[in-house]
Amino acid sequence: MTSSSTQPVLRVRDVRFGYARGHDLFAGVSLDVGRGEVHALLGPSGCGKSTLLRLIAGLERPASGRIECDSQVLTDGGTFVPPHRRGVGIVFQDLGLFPDRSAVSNVMFGIRGPRRAARARAKELLRVVGVGDEANRPPGQLSGGQRRRVAIARALGPEPRVMLLDEAFEGLESDLRRAVRNDVFGILRSRGIASVLVTHDEQEAEAVADRVVRLPRLSRT
Amino acid sequence: MPARRPPVRRIERWLWVTASLCVSALVAGPLVRVVASVFEDSGGVWSHLAETRLADYATGTASLAVLVCVGATVLAVPPAWLLARYRFPGAGVLSWAMLLPLAVPGYIAAYAYTDLCAAEGPLRRAIDGLGAADGMAWLVPDMRTLGGAAVVLASTLFPYVYFAARVAFREQPASAIESGRLLGAGPLATALRVELPLAAPAIAAGLLLVLMETVADFGTADYCAVDTLTTGVYRTWLGLGSEVGAAQLSTVLVVPLIGLFTLEAWLGRRRRSTDTTCRVMGDRRVSLGMPLGLCATAACLAPLVLGFIIPVVHLAVLSVNDNTDAGRSWLPTASWNTLRVASMAAAAAVVLSVVLVAASRFATGRATSLSFMCSRFGYAVPGPVIAIGVIAAVSAVSGALHAAGLPTLGSVFAVGSLVTLVVGYQTRFLGVALAYTRAAFERIDPRTDDAARTLGVGSLGLLARVDLPLARRGLLVGFVVLFADVVKELPITLMLRPFDFETLAVRAYKLASDERLGEAAGACLAMVGFGLVPAALLGAVLSHAASSQRIESPNR
Repeated sequence: MTSSSTQPVLRVRDVRFGYARGHDLFAGVSLDVGRGEVHALLGPSGCGKSTLLRLIAGLERPASGRIECDSQVLTDGGTFVPPHRRGVGIVFQDLGLFPDRSAVSNVMFGIRGPRRAARARAKELLRVVGVGDEANRPPGQLSGGQRRRVAIARALGPEPRVMLLDEAFEGLESDLRRAVRNDVFGILRSRGIASVLVTHDEQEAEAVADRVVRLPRLSRT
Repeated sequence: MPARRPPVRRIERWLWVTASLCVSALVAGPLVRVVASVFEDSGGVWSHLAETRLADYATGTASLAVLVCVGATVLAVPPAWLLARYRFPGAGVLSWAMLLPLAVPGYIAAYAYTDLCAAEGPLRRAIDGLGAADGMAWLVPDMRTLGGAAVVLASTLFPYVYFAARVAFREQPASAIESGRLLGAGPLATALRVELPLAAPAIAAGLLLVLMETVADFGTADYCAVDTLTTGVYRTWLGLGSEVGAAQLSTVLVVPLIGLFTLEAWLGRRRRSTDTTCRVMGDRRVSLGMPLGLCATAACLAPLVLGFIIPVVHLAVLSVNDNTDAGRSWLPTASWNTLRVASMAAAAAVVLSVVLVAASRFATGRATSLSFMCSRFGYAVPGPVIAIGVIAAVSAVSGALHAAGLPTLGSVFAVGSLVTLVVGYQTRFLGVALAYTRAAFERIDPRTDDAARTLGVGSLGLLARVDLPLARRGLLVGFVVLFADVVKELPITLMLRPFDFETLAVRAYKLASDERLGEAAGACLAMVGFGLVPAALLGAVLSHAASSQRIESPNR
């Protein structure tokens, strides 16, 4: 399951991971995602798609293997860059918006610099993803599609080099899902952000991805 | 309250509503009587209090409440966060041991600390022995001060905040915290900017409980010579001999406390209605390296040492060193009285709470909802205030029964009877019983009730044959917690007890007031022993909750 690209931003090499000794969730996964490319991860439940995203984000440590971003080693035998220093953005299936903050405050969270400038940039990002009018509303008062757009805007705030989308469009009605998805990938491609999408939907993967990677049913060794 | 409304016959509905109203009248009546005293003539006592003591009482209460809340936050929140997020030496034991100070009533910790820090106490002697009496005098603070009372109360009440914060940190959405990390915030910044704001409602609810307990406290404030409204009520009743004046002073407390209680109930509902669909942090914890791990152990151990180990060890030493025979003669009688009255009160509270919860299930409506709500208010009200209300209400009822030619019944409801004492406990603690009983009934699958109803069972049969057997474990937990609460209760017992009837709490209070702490230590330790049972139950709740299971906080 290796994919290649001439100028990969994200390089995953022979990553191996298991929750218990002797029980690998997957072994030897490799991935190369170029600038502005979208790779989709497909596979049955439990095969480790989301776990692979968490390894790339630094939320889990692999048993072995190497992960690089723009030639910077993020994870290697002795190196482990913590999540907040990786320059990787993620949109979770349940979004993880901060419920006590407004949409604009959610987006401002990851933007560094003076408060006024951060606010202006957060509002701009919200406008880009199509929810500029909802800036002051908390997540609880937004629709499912609006919440997803806010989550995308928040992940874009720190200008990540890599964007990870973990079933980020689940639960949306099909027309809305298509619209949100097209908008989001349009923005990611235009900004040259390497993206990895985890999905169950084969048609969605074929529609948006430059490359589809199929993870096999989990094999235990 | 359960939203389901199984259809019941009109007569059954009427019976449930009547029973519910009777229970709420019994427990809320004394509070109504207190508030009604505003319209009575106190013979100049109120105006005397307003001119001379009221400002001191109000300032003392407010200062103590603020200091205790700040102290409880400092003692509870950092350990709760550390134990929820990290693995370090002793974390497993500390996780539940942090609840042990709940077993130590504030006034007992006050006795221990006051003796420890006395002019001829062990701390002073130890410092004198080191030959550094002047330079290290600050290590032996005067505990009979506002600051002393605040330290004692904060170190024994912080587990309320710890439990609420610990559950909140555990149940936080993992994706929100991980998003914080991926957006560039380190562990500490994520804690301050994401986790703490998310846990704020739970921490606030825990602090409200601390606030209510502090305002309601009598024993600690009295022993540490801090003038509060609660001690003022007792002194007005005892010193000025004015029930009406004490009742009028009580109203100054009752109204804001009921407001606080309503706020706490609202925060509790809000916590329960949070999103349950997202992945929670659960027991995912990161190992801390050795130097940091030991610092974390020390940070969590400090509140435990302050609130449990120091007072209990000192009391144990005092008890072992006590050679007076008197200390042994009264202990069996006081223990038996304590067991008897606590069992009666806890059993009565569980039965009454079942009536109220069942009524609100079988006869849903405004009357039963109002009864339920009114029956909970007593928990927010200080013991002396409740005692004053009970004395006034019982005197009125007893007088009416005598006038109606029922002297035997009238003497049952006389001030100084066991029945009156148990009624006082119901007013104070029925809210606690209701929390546990409601939680036990809410766990019953509504389809079980539906199935029983289709098999021809009426509401009483449903309660007796289906609901009570299913809820028995929750009811038993409620009984144990109430039992321990009654054992520790001091002012209601002190003011409403029958003549020459002494419980462990009363005896310990009297002996400590006479500076005979060595003799009182045995009773104090016995009360701590009773208090360990509910603390262990809460610890089991924390330990038992699996990584991703949601926990219903048994906060009241």
